[in-house]
This record gives sequence, structure tokens and C-alpha cells, in this order.
Amino acid sequence: MMHLLLVGASHRTAPVELRERLDFCSRGLEHAVRALARRQSTSEAVVVSTCNRAELYIACGDPDGAGEDLMAFFSEFHQLPPEQIRPHLYAHRDREAARHLFRVSSGLDSLVVGEPQILGQIKEAYSVATTAESAGPLLNKLFHWAFGVGKRVRSETALAEGAVSVSFAAVSLAKKIFGNLAGRRVLVIGAGEMGKLTAVHLKAQGVASITITSRTLAHAQELADQVGGQVAPWNSLPHSLRESDIVITVTGSPTPILSRAQVKSAMPASRSRPLFLIDIAVPRDVDPRAGEIEQVFLYNIDDLQAIVRENLERRGAEVGRAEQIVEEEVQKFSTWHRSRDAVPTIVALRQRFEGIRKSELERLEPKMSTLSPEARARVDEVTRLIVEKLLLHPTEQLKSVGDSQLVSQYAEALSRLFALDDKDKSAGDR
Amino acid sequence: MYSLPLAFYALALIAYTVHFARRTPSVGRAATALLGAGTLAHTLVIGMQTMEAGHVPFAGTTQAISTFVWLLGLAYLYTEVTTKERGLGIFILPIITALQILPAVQGAGVEPQSRVLEHPLFWTHVAAMLGAYASFGLAAVIGITYVLQFKEIKAKHLVFFFERLPSLQVLDVMNSRTVFIGWLLMTVGLIAGALWVRDAMAMAPGDPRVQAMSLRDPKIFVALFTWAVYTFQMIARRAIGWRGRPAAYLAAVGFAFILLNFVLVSYFLTESHNFGAATPHESFQLSVGNWQLRQ
Repeated sequence: MMHLLLVGASHRTAPVELRERLDFCSRGLEHAVRALARRQSTSEAVVVSTCNRAELYIACGDPDGAGEDLMAFFSEFHQLPPEQIRPHLYAHRDREAARHLFRVSSGLDSLVVGEPQILGQIKEAYSVATTAESAGPLLNKLFHWAFGVGKRVRSETALAEGAVSVSFAAVSLAKKIFGNLAGRRVLVIGAGEMGKLTAVHLKAQGVASITITSRTLAHAQELADQVGGQVAPWNSLPHSLRESDIVITVTGSPTPILSRAQVKSAMPASRSRPLFLIDIAVPRDVDPRAGEIEQVFLYNIDDLQAIVRENLERRGAEVGRAEQIVEEEVQKFSTWHRSRDAVPTIVALRQRFEGIRKSELERLEPKMSTLSPEARARVDEVTRLIVEKLLLHPTEQLKSVGDSQLVSQYAEALSRLFALDDKDKSAGDR
Repeated sequence: MYSLPLAFYALALIAYTVHFARRTPSVGRAATALLGAGTLAHTLVIGMQTMEAGHVPFAGTTQAISTFVWLLGLAYLYTEVTTKERGLGIFILPIITALQILPAVQGAGVEPQSRVLEHPLFWTHVAAMLGAYASFGLAAVIGITYVLQFKEIKAKHLVFFFERLPSLQVLDVMNSRTVFIGWLLMTVGLIAGALWVRDAMAMAPGDPRVQAMSLRDPKIFVALFTWAVYTFQMIARRAIGWRGRPAAYLAAVGFAFILLNFVLVSYFLTESHNFGAATPHESFQLSVGNWQLRQ
């Protein structure tokens, strides 16, 4: 039987200094996966390497020997002494390896639970292995299964829902207020780092323009160059405010720079768009009472951090449901994997039955020679169907046996009962 | 006969509720399928009645409610398909299910129809008014969801509606469009109704219902008042910036009047709009043909 084996290190077991050195992407992932596939112990190989994990997935006949070999591969490939790596490596086989990959692909094993990138990274790793032709039937099945689990967890639970960083929380709020952000105009007041980060995220959402205004023109210009925006003079702030949909304030001013009245004057009755004020300055830049104006939505840094906290808590609450889905899928995968144990027996059984059918037909050949071709075809058809029907149930039963010991007992019994001698069995064992 | 669509609507309501709470995609698709099945069954019922009677059965109050439910279902399905948003279903289905109970319980069959109703202006009137009501019904639900989401964002506590409803801007635009379409249809319906009354007066001057067609009749009065509410909503949006929340509230208020007019006033108060509600005996007595024979 082909076994699954996983050996790897992740943010849970290895410090960042070590993870950096275990990165398989540095010399190209394809190079790594080809090197791994060339090892004696491996029949199939996929290498997953991200900044938080380096994992080798293989199919092998002898998992004990292969485990040692993979640990050796880690130290040889990265030219690190084995004793330095070993304590940080974990190894899982078969069911446990599948569970691990399913937890990874659904985001359960990520540093930030439910983060969206990991599924893409695993798909990438798998496609590199496909290019290198190192993935075979077992790993193909395993990885496609893992993509399915990742999707299922994302669609059936809220594990990946809600922004978990302040700037993403601001972007998701903006989307909830404006719908599409394309065509929206952003004003950044001040030149702080947080403002830059949020502006970059908004830019990625396709906003029409980013205008930066600061008491110090040079600072504004510098930030504008970095994010691809334009600069507006400080004294035209009221005008800039009226023109904008989303305003980010990040000045270091000790007193508020936008009063309720100033905001109010930016919201004439003729204005058809809401105004989203993101005040990420400490101390605050916008008078909190500005948030009372009907179409003004004012969020300060504490509000955004509270959202992030709430989202993290909600994700945490979904972990149980996600684990349950993973468990279900591991069970199904495991049944499929074990059913492959039964394949040689099934093939032998079929060959045995088919052999009997053929020889009986040959024996009857003299008597059937008087029959018309149609009638002979019918006889062939009927006998074939009888064999099919006889084998249908036993085949299904054998495939659904989940316990490998039971499978070997069944196989043993079947080969005695039906005289599936060694010759037949080896013919089926391809 | 109206029980089959009702059963589907009730099941769809349950499915939309479960989908809203748990957001399982398969449940969402089941909800849409159930609503689709209900609307289809409803179409068949209305179609059969039309074939049986030779006219679309919406002259009587109960039948009109059934037709309104059908139109609302269609209008909602259309928005769901075009916007790919299922979050509004949980708000629409209670209206659909509750109103469909009336025809299901009353078992509104096809009743003989006065000749005075076989007039193109009458058809235009009823069809346009029912279409307008369906559009306003949608606008009201969109308005309510706007307010719910608006409050959540203002309160900075994004727990429930945030992940489940379209953005504020999208809801506001949808509100504006559905109100405009409803207003347009209602205007056509009111004009057609007024023109029809003029003809009906000439055709059936002895029919007390036609005689009652005036502003003093509560149904007509409330309808005109409702039209004024929506007209104000549209003007206020442009002139004094009543977008978003005020617009949403006005859409909800307008629809409250429509429901009032459509159910309570129609069943108990109006003297003029009760063409289908009469007993077979009365409708025989009142039928225009009969009246003409007596002349």
C-alpha cells in the first residue's frame, strides 16, 4: 500500500530565523520538488513553502524509512546540521498527514486564523509539482481534496470573515458604505504611516484619486509620490473635504483639526454621497460630534481596533465548526485511501470471474456455432451481466471497509474461497 | 387552490431565514428554488383561472391580493437574480407568505365579472396599480434594510447585518429606482382609473359602486394620499437632500399605507372597489346586464 507522509516545520514549531533558512522557494520551488522526487524513498512529492511553513508531502511504500530520508533531505537541501533542524520538525502519516493539510488549507493552522492567502499558496505549490510531474494518483487526490475542504470551510463557516487589521477594517467599512469603491475620491490629511497603509489598500480597491494634504507640503509630496496621489494645499482643506468621499486623518496635531461645523459645511443638501471619516490619529483629529451628522460615518482608531478584536473573536468561535468539517473530510479521505488497499483483491476477483466466463464460453463454442451472430452476442452480453451483478456488491463492500487489518482478512478469505492464486493476484496488482 | 403556492412560500420563508442565520450557500439556493417553485405554482393557478374565466382574476380584493403577491415574488426574484444578493429575502417572504394566507383561506374562486369591468382602461388601472404596489413593497423592504444597516454602522457595532446585506449606497440606489418605477406605474394607474370612471358612469350609471367612485371613498382617498407621499419622497431626495435614511423611512411609510388600503380598507371600508367581493347573488343583481334588462 502507498502511504502518505508529511515532514515539515511551521510557525508553531520553528522560530522565524530557522523558517527563513528552511524556505524552499529561495532556489525555486520547482528545483526543490524535483530534488525531492528524485529521492529513492519517494514515489510522489509536493513541496509547500510559505513564510510560515515548509512542508514536504510524499507518497511512499515504506513510511519509516522515508521519514528518516525526508529529515535528511531537509538538512541536505538547506545545508544545515540535522541536530539544528530535527527538534523543529514534525512528521505525520496517512490520516494525520491528510488532517494536517486540510487544516492548513482551511486556514486553521495559520498564524492569523482564516487568513485567505494560504489556499492560493497551496494551489501554487501543487501546480509546481504538477509541472515537475512529481505528483501522482495519491497526492493528486489529496491536494484536490484539500482545496475542496478549504473552500467548504470558507463558505460554510465565518472562519475567514471580517477584517483582522485596522486598515482592512477601514476598507471593508468603506465598501459597506459605498458599495463599489471605483470612482471614489480619497483625502489623506497628514502624512503618517497608518494613513499610507490605508491609502494603499484603498488604491488596490480602485479608488479614482488620492489627495494628500499636510501642514508641511514636503511631507505631503513625499507620501503622494509613494502612493501615486496628488497634493492639495493645506488652506484649501474645506474645498478638499467637500470633494472627497473617504477622508483619512493622521496628523500629529494635539487639537482636533476638523470641527463638527467644518464637517457639516462639507455636507450641503445637494451632496449625494456619504462621507466616511477615518480618524486614525492619536490624539483624535476629528471632533467626535461630527459623527452625529446624518450622512457622515466617523470611525476612530479605537472603533476600528474594536472591530478587529470582534472579528478575531468571531473567527475563534468558528474554529470548532471548521474543525468538524475537517474531521468529516479526513474521515472520507481516509476511507477512500484505505479502499485502495482492496484494489488488488478486487482486480484479482474480477479477473478470476471473467476467466471462468471466458473458458465456459469457449467450452460451449461447438454447441453455439449453430447460433446466429445476434444470439451469440446476446449470450456474451447476458453472461457478462451476470458476472457484473455477482461482483457489484462484494466490490462495494470491499471498497468501503475502513480498517486495513479487516481488508487484509477479507482479501485472505477471498483468495482462499475463490482460489485467487498468486499468479492471478500479481496480474491484478499493477 | 392558492394553498400550493402558500406552502412553497412558507417553506421558502423558512429557508431564507436559515440562510440568513447560517449563510450556507446550498440553503440559499434552496430558498431561491422554493420561491421560484411558489411563483411558478402561483402563475399556473392564475393562468388556469384566467383560462376558466376568460379574464385575469384580479377584480376582487382577494384575487387582487393574490396577484399582488405573485408580482412581488416576481419582482423580488428579479432583483435577486440581477444583484446576486439574497439578504433581502428574509424581509420580503414574510409579506408574501402573510398576504397569501388571505386567498388561500378565502379560496377566492373566479367570480362573474361586470361588463363595466371589461374595459381596457380598467385593465390598465388594475395592472398598473398592482405593479406599482409590488415595486413599492420592494422599496419598503430595501428601505428597512437600509435603516438596519445604517444604524449598525453608525453604532460602530458590526455584528449582524454587516455581513448579510448589500452596501448602503446600493440599497439607496435600489430604493430610488423601485420608488420611481412604482410611482410611474401608480401615476398611470390613477389616470387610467379616473378615465375609466368617466366611461363607467356612462355605461353603468345605476351601479352603486361606480357611483361611489369619488375622493370621499376611503380607498381612493388613501391611494391619492399614498401617491402624494411617494411624490414627496422623490422630490425631497433631490431638493432637500433626503437621501438614505429619510428616503428609506418614507418608502416604508408609503407602503404601510398601501397595505392598509389594500387589506383593511378594501375588505371593510370602501364602497367603490368591491367588484369581486360581492356574493354571487349580489353580483347577479348588480351585474350591468341585469340592470340593462330591467330598463
